[in-house]
Amino acid sequence: MKLICLGLNHETAPVGVREIFALSEAGLDRETESLLAAADVREGVILSTCNRTEYYAVVNGGSGVTELENWICEQRGYDGNREGVFYHFEAREAAEHLCRVASGMNSMVLGETEIFGQVKQAYKRSLEGGATKTVLNKLFQRAFGVGKKVRTQTRIQEGATSVAGASVELAEKVFGQLKGSSVMVIGAGEMSRKTARALQSRGASSVLVTNRSFDKAVDLAEEIDGRAIPFDGWEEELAHLDVVIAATGAPHFVVKPGHVEAVRRKRKYRPLIMIDIAVPRDIDPRVGEIEEVYLYDIDTLQEMADQARKRREEQLRVCETIIREEVDKAHLPGVTEES
Amino acid sequence: MGIGWLVIATLLALAGGGWGFLAMRGERSGRAGVWWMVGVFGAQLMALGWRGEMRGQCPLGDLGEVCLFLAWSLTLFYLVTGTAYRLSLLGVFTAPLVVVLQAVALVPGAFETEVVAAASVDPWREVHTSFSVLSYGALALAAVAGVMFFVLNYRLKSHKFGGGLVHGMPSIRRLVEAMARIAVVGWVILTAGIVAGLLMSGRNMNLHLLVATVTWVLYAVLLGIYFVRGMPGRSLAIGLTALFGLSLMVFAKL
Repeated sequence: MKLICLGLNHETAPVGVREIFALSEAGLDRETESLLAAADVREGVILSTCNRTEYYAVVNGGSGVTELENWICEQRGYDGNREGVFYHFEAREAAEHLCRVASGMNSMVLGETEIFGQVKQAYKRSLEGGATKTVLNKLFQRAFGVGKKVRTQTRIQEGATSVAGASVELAEKVFGQLKGSSVMVIGAGEMSRKTARALQSRGASSVLVTNRSFDKAVDLAEEIDGRAIPFDGWEEELAHLDVVIAATGAPHFVVKPGHVEAVRRKRKYRPLIMIDIAVPRDIDPRVGEIEEVYLYDIDTLQEMADQARKRREEQLRVCETIIREEVDKAHLPGVTEES
Repeated sequence: MGIGWLVIATLLALAGGGWGFLAMRGERSGRAGVWWMVGVFGAQLMALGWRGEMRGQCPLGDLGEVCLFLAWSLTLFYLVTGTAYRLSLLGVFTAPLVVVLQAVALVPGAFETEVVAAASVDPWREVHTSFSVLSYGALALAAVAGVMFFVLNYRLKSHKFGGGLVHGMPSIRRLVEAMARIAVVGWVILTAGIVAGLLMSGRNMNLHLLVATVTWVLYAVLLGIYFVRGMPGRSLAIGLTALFGLSLMVFAKL
C-alpha cells in the first residue's frame, strides 16, 4: 500500500493546460468514481481549483505514479507535452505536500486562506462518496490540523500582499471596522474595481463611482453594486465620504487641497483616507498635509504589499519545521511505513 | 505592610508596562497587560486603605496621598475603559505615568509620618477632594489616549508602518472616540467635585476651587467645540494633553 500524489499547478503548467485538467463539481464526482474503478487504487481524493489539480491516491504496491499519470491524461484526452507539467510525491513527501497546500504555502499568493476551505471541500466530497478509508482519512484530518497550526503559530497569512489588500489594511487602521463606511471611486478602471471590491468585502456599504466617461462609471457601478455619479458632481459628495480611491488616466491632479478644504467644516473634520493608485498621480500630495487626511499613493501601497510578501516568505522555514514535526507525530499508514 | 503595598504596586506597574512593551515589539497581543494592571489596582487599594485608616478620612492630605490616589484613579479608568474599548495597548502608555506618580509618592517626605486621625469628617469635603482627584485620573487617561493618537497619527501620516506599535494600536477613529468620551467622564466628575467644593462648610471660593473652575471651563470649551463644531483628532489630542499638563502644573504649584 502506497500513498501517492500527482498534480499540476500554476508553477508547472500554463493556464491552457491547467484548464484541460480542471474539473467541475459534477466532473469531480465522476472522476473520483473512475479513479476508484481503476485497478490498484484503494482510496482517492481529487483537488481541483483554478490554480491546481491534484490527485491523492492510495494504491497497491505494484502501481505507481506513471500508471496514474497515464490514466489521468487518458481520461482528460491530453496528448501534449508532459515534461515538467506534472509533479509527483510519494509516501511522506506526499503527506508533507498536502500539509503545505492546506497551509497556503504552495499557493500563488503565499499564505492565502481560501485553499484551506477548498481542500476541506475536496476531502468532504470524497468522504461522502465513499472514496476515502483509513489512510486518506487520517492524512487529511492531520493536514487540516497542521494547516490550522501553521496559521495560528506563524505569521504566514499576516499583512496584505496586494495593492487592494494594502488599501483595506490602511483604511482599517484609520477607521477600525469598515462596516457602514462610504467609498468613492474616481476612475472606472480595473484597479478601481479591485480596490472597491476589497473594501466592500470588509463591510464598506456605499460605493460611488465617477468617471469622465459616464457610461463606464455606470458599468462599474452596476458590477460592484454601487452608484454612478457625474464627473462634475464628485466634489459635493466629498463631504459624506470616508474613503476616496483615485485611479484615472488624467495627466494632472484631479483632487486638490482646495476640494478637501472646502468641505472640512461640513465633514466635522472626520478622518478621510485617500488612496491614489494612478500614475501619474491623481491626488495632489499637499492634500495629505491636511490634518485629518491620510493619503497613500501606489508606491506606498506596493511597498506595503512587498514587505508583507517578504515577511511571509521568511515564515516558510518555521512552517516547514511544524509540518515535519506533525507528520512525524502522526504515524500515518502508507507514509511512515510500507504495508 | 503599609508602604510595602505601594512598592509592590510600583513594581507591578513597571513590570506590566515592560511586558506590554515587549509584547508590542514582538507584535503579540498586549491583552495580558490588563492583568498586570489589575494587580497594580489591588496593591494601590491596600496602600490607600493603609493611609485612609491613619487619617480616618479620604487619604488626600499630603503630596504622597494625592499622587497615590491619582495613580489609583488612572488605573481604575484604564481598567474600565481599556477593556470597554479593547485598548489593551493603553496599558503600555498608562503604566509609565502610574510609575512616575507612585515614584513621587515614594520619595521620602511625600507621606506625612505624624498623622492625627480626623475627629470629624465634612462629607462635602470628602466628596470634593475624592471626586476632584478621581476626575483627574480620567482626564489623565484622556491625555494618555491623546499621546497614543499622536504616535499612531504620526506613523500613519509619515507612512512608517513597521513594528508592533502600529500593528497593536486601535484605529484612529476608536482613539478619537475614546479620548472624547473619557474626557467627558472626567469633566462630569470634576463638575460634581466643584459643586461639592462650593457646598463645603465654612469655605467660599478659594484659589484651589478657582483653578478647578477655570480648568472645568477650559475642558467644557474644548469638548463643546469638538462635539458641536467638530475638530480634527490631532487638535483634540493637543487640547487634552496640554490642558491636563497645564492643570497638573498649576495644582502642583498650589
